Amino acid sequence: MKTRFLEFILCMVFILVSACFYGQKYSTRTGNLKFEASMSSFEEVAAENKTASAVLESSKGDLAVLALMKGFRFKVALMEEHFNENYVESDKYPKASFKGKIEGFDASKLSTDAKSFTVTGELTLHGKTKKVTDVAKISKAGDTITIIGGFDVKPGDFDIEIPKLVSKKVSEKIAVTYNLILSK
Amino acid sequence: MNRFFLLTACLLGITFSYAQDDLLSELDSTQVSDSYATAAFKGLQIVTLQTTKMPAKKEVYFVVSHRFGTVKDGFSEFFGLDQATTKIGGVYGITDWLSVSASRHTLLKVYEAGLKYRVARQSADFPVDIVGYNTVDINSLFKKEDYPKIEFSDRLTYITQVLISRKISEKLSLQLVPSYIHKNLHNPALENNNQFSMGAGGRMKLTKRLSVNVEYMHNFDKPDFYTNPLSIGLDLETGGHIFQLLFTNSQAMTESGYVTNAAGDWGKGDFFFGFNLYRVF
Repeated sequence: MKTRFLEFILCMVFILVSACFYGQKYSTRTGNLKFEASMSSFEEVAAENKTASAVLESSKGDLAVLALMKGFRFKVALMEEHFNENYVESDKYPKASFKGKIEGFDASKLSTDAKSFTVTGELTLHGKTKKVTDVAKISKAGDTITIIGGFDVKPGDFDIEIPKLVSKKVSEKIAVTYNLILSK
Repeated sequence: MNRFFLLTACLLGITFSYAQDDLLSELDSTQVSDSYATAAFKGLQIVTLQTTKMPAKKEVYFVVSHRFGTVKDGFSEFFGLDQATTKIGGVYGITDWLSVSASRHTLLKVYEAGLKYRVARQSADFPVDIVGYNTVDINSLFKKEDYPKIEFSDRLTYITQVLISRKISEKLSLQLVPSYIHKNLHNPALENNNQFSMGAGGRMKLTKRLSVNVEYMHNFDKPDFYTNPLSIGLDLETGGHIFQLLFTNSQAMTESGYVTNAAGDWGKGDFFFGFNLYRVF
């Protein structure tokens, strides 16, 4: 009986220790995402989400980001309603997510001066998943890692239809930018 | 000791694989969602009755509506198009839950002022949207020369409605409309000055930007020679415009005229064509 008990305790200690060393996680619940699909000389089509959550596994450079579609705020309320109702169908597909990897990531080499890293991963939106690659600027100050970057997406890649009637007002190339301030 | 190593290895393996796969699902549990049901209706009106939709804060809706003459008169009146009545007005959102409106109707030369306020919203915790709607109609048709004793208060009609809607599915929304109308000026031989009615309406989306709407009101204080309004409409939404094409057996566009003075009869081919046009600024 005694050895069993000892085994159990040792086991737990091992797991705890390993989890501690392994789990170098930085996260946020107030990540900032923006996108803009404006066409020149037409009304601004842009929105911002200040409540994206993100987590970075610093030992491996794994990055995951999640945002609620209804968390995107437009300047024009009607545009926001149409975005949710007609374009991204937020009731059917409430979330957008990104799961990827920061290549060559090493937390110990980060400093307050931002360095460029290539980020690759899969973006899931409107029920469709697509590979995206971009270059992010990453810096570190104390226990805080800041990741800033951006990439372009095409609505068509995610089965988001832009009706002909408004095709002049909504860009075919949508610029997405992100600013994630992650802490331990 | 073998068992010990085996067990540890197993458990370590589990923690590793957990950490690798579940960065995303870890985030899932931390999200708080905004659970309000949105856009039960596309427009501010089902057909002629108001919907529970509110203009957003600082939004301005410009409204032009027409109801043509009865279709029954046929080609000589171009199926009613020779006798158009018009409503022209505006709605302004003071906040997301309160809006004011003003409009002018050619029928009976009515000026209408309205107040619409949201009391409750449909969400995971509450089943329906509840909106209050009050208007005052000012009849400016009566001339002082013809009716020397008429007072300003005689021109007024008060309308109080409660709008209760539920977005049942993405496509289907239904609404109940209890309504109370008080007329300062009325002919006691013909009708009550207080009229209660109960109605219902709904919309069914055909595509993302097109829906069919139906509404009916039952007036409990209705004299025999009037009918109960039954209307059907088609909503077309194009960016900042909402266009509603409709057929109805009640020509008036004020709630009071629409509910208490419906004169058309669907069964006799006596109905009216019309449309509502909204532009949102």
